[in-house]
Amino acid sequence: MNNFGVIEIASTTTKNTPGWAYVPDTGPLPAALQPTNRKRAARNQPALSLSDLSAREETRIRKDLEALDRDSHRDANITIPPRPGGSRAQNKHTPNVRKILQSQKTFANHLDDYQALLALAESNPAAAAAMNAAQAKPSTPIAATPKSASPAPTVAPAGGGSRRSAAAAKRAAAKEKQEQEKKKARQTPKQEPDPETEANNPQQQEDQPDVEMPDATAPPQPTPTPNAEEPNPQETQSSYPRESLILPAYTKPPPRPHPGDADPLLVSYIPPFPSDDELRELMTAPPLSYLEARAGWGDEQRRYPVRVFCAVCGYWGRVKCMKCGVRVCALECLEAHREECVTRYGL
Amino acid sequence: MAASRKSRASGPPPPAATFVLDNGADTIKAGFVTGNKTDAPRIIPNCVARDRHRKTYVGSELEKCRDFGEIAFRRPVEKGFVVSWEAQKEIWDREFFDDKAPQRCDPSETRLVLAEQPNALPALQTHCDQMVFEEFGFYSYCRGIGPAFNAYQDIQAIFHTPRTPDTPVDVPAEVILVIDSGYSHTTVTPIVQGRPLHQAIRRLDVGGRLMTNYLTRLLSVRHFDMRNETFIANEMKEAVCYVSLDFKGDLEKTWKGTRGDRRDDYLSGAGIAKDYVLPDSHTTFHGVVRDYEPGVSARARKAAVSTEDVLTLRNERFVVPELLFNPSDIGMRQPGLADLVMQSLSALPIGLWPGLLANIVVVGGNASLDNFIQRLQMELLERVPDECVVRVARPQDPAISTWLGAANFARHEHVERLAVTKQEYEEHGAGWVARKFAAGLGAET
Ligand SMILES: [Zn+2]
Ligand SMILES: [Zn+2]
Repeated sequence: MNNFGVIEIASTTTKNTPGWAYVPDTGPLPAALQPTNRKRAARNQPALSLSDLSAREETRIRKDLEALDRDSHRDANITIPPRPGGSRAQNKHTPNVRKILQSQKTFANHLDDYQALLALAESNPAAAAAMNAAQAKPSTPIAATPKSASPAPTVAPAGGGSRRSAAAAKRAAAKEKQEQEKKKARQTPKQEPDPETEANNPQQQEDQPDVEMPDATAPPQPTPTPNAEEPNPQETQSSYPRESLILPAYTKPPPRPHPGDADPLLVSYIPPFPSDDELRELMTAPPLSYLEARAGWGDEQRRYPVRVFCAVCGYWGRVKCMKCGVRVCALECLEAHREECVTRYGL
Repeated sequence: MAASRKSRASGPPPPAATFVLDNGADTIKAGFVTGNKTDAPRIIPNCVARDRHRKTYVGSELEKCRDFGEIAFRRPVEKGFVVSWEAQKEIWDREFFDDKAPQRCDPSETRLVLAEQPNALPALQTHCDQMVFEEFGFYSYCRGIGPAFNAYQDIQAIFHTPRTPDTPVDVPAEVILVIDSGYSHTTVTPIVQGRPLHQAIRRLDVGGRLMTNYLTRLLSVRHFDMRNETFIANEMKEAVCYVSLDFKGDLEKTWKGTRGDRRDDYLSGAGIAKDYVLPDSHTTFHGVVRDYEPGVSARARKAAVSTEDVLTLRNERFVVPELLFNPSDIGMRQPGLADLVMQSLSALPIGLWPGLLANIVVVGGNASLDNFIQRLQMELLERVPDECVVRVARPQDPAISTWLGAANFARHEHVERLAVTKQEYEEHGAGWVARKFAAGLGAET
């Protein structure tokens, strides 16, 4: 068998031949990754039922990723051996601890529970709050009733997170926040350092929406009248040796003057440093939820072509098996792939 | 200000000893801080393992294991968070709380500082707090996110910033960006004065486990079935994998070419190919890396030393860590690390970017991969304005960096502001404790 000049191919079109096809080196996303385009792709390609093909590709990629994510190839159901030296007294667990130790839930189960709770918070805030409170009660008798509020996500999700449920959770917390504010207004008529109040009401910070904070909910200021000392925003933005209470000013001597300092073409752009208010808001913002923090596929990534590799040797995948959609580099690897392909999908 | 804080911490003095715990998915880092004394942390496998002779090892007992062939693991930590407390308690009991534990700790007289991964599920956090107080009975406790503890290290020493000996060390660091690349995932956390900027924390679900699994798959397709040998594949990954600074070039150098037209670089190895001798499980129990010997065909080598299983590793060496920078290579729809950093920055005012970009610290086990920080710096420079300074550094031992930071935190005034006593837990409840930890230090200095 000869080489068919496979390595020279760098075409931008797809050519179908019986059983396999040359494909562009840096083509668009494979159909499997762009389900919305599948219809159009199918219309353009007269090949053997492409929807079957991309379904196969899609399934394969999904299964591959699931397998790569697993902790081990086999399910490691290892029972814990008894301790040789004997353990501490075993039968004095609190009810909470007993429940935790007996739990067989996986991380995925817990994540589902959390998402369900957010959904419930949307439809029935009171029920969700009650559920959450029940979960967080200490087993020991308590003096004060624990306040109930989940660390509800209140900021924009990172990537396709549940904006709606976050908003719902925020609404659920809003009622309680109002009460908090009223209570706080009673407790602290003057604005003065009162870490005690803050420590007792930490969720006032969690509940803050990502819009501007009204003065009433601003955390108590430790320093006397910081607002008076604060330079006006205009000033802050233009001075890089910034006037900040949160970040100390640059104290070292400035660099020696340079003849080019005044040249408008040489002036480098220094972005305005955030104001203390901005910083304070960032520093006290609540954590995102697990799914919100997962980075999503942004515009940036959509711009790059997805790289495709030979499933056998790992070099660029320039040849496509028309039976299953797997990419290989050239005919030698295609032959190697054939064996496996036939076992999996038949002739 | 200081006075009012003191008055708040009235009651019995805090315990003399703090137990600092970074409870990772792969290993636990654990050690005591007493007064000004910080012991080096113990590194304990966080697993229950069973070898092919059906012998079981819990935590540090794994040291006694010789034959890692087909060894299976059960891990209490999943996705970075303790999920199975049944297994976790067993490991902690044996390591710390039993009478004959190798690192004996009396919780009733000890404060616990525990590092957790960012963006935890509230229910799992509650489980953790309940176990700490109701089961183990720590005197007091502070749970905080691991990346933020790194701010309590001497960051400028990590960057080798020139300074005079009398320059005071800023602890916590003013502004840093911590990249924590561990077993379960990789996170980006911007931190100002020790406070994590929660809205900008981003996660990429690529970590050591995924990379080892990927290497295992490649080897199984190309050489022989290694699917039950993840321990051996993991050792191999640590020994040979590197981050490529020229992916396309390296990929060309490792391609065989077409049949009948083998490429010269392939035949010579091009400085990339390495031979890896697998353990035989009789006389050797760990793999060995050897230089690739060009010209000696695999068959000839096999004949010469028939007892050895030798794999020649080529692009496997760099396509595996490449997943950190191009997760879409395996179809994952997530950005690579440099774009992850940019996504994090884009959630922040642009005025913070210069400070963060000039102070990027990479911690976690994967930070030890060769060229990791160089590649990240290179890719970031492509994405930021020309005049931006990008500095990326890793501490000497990135795997214990979070623990060292947490140990410094345990001696810092901040711990007093965040720690919760068992008594407070009993008075105010788990919800109150969770909210206090979530609120963190606040903005006040
Ligand atoms: Zn190939
Ligand atoms: Zn096929």
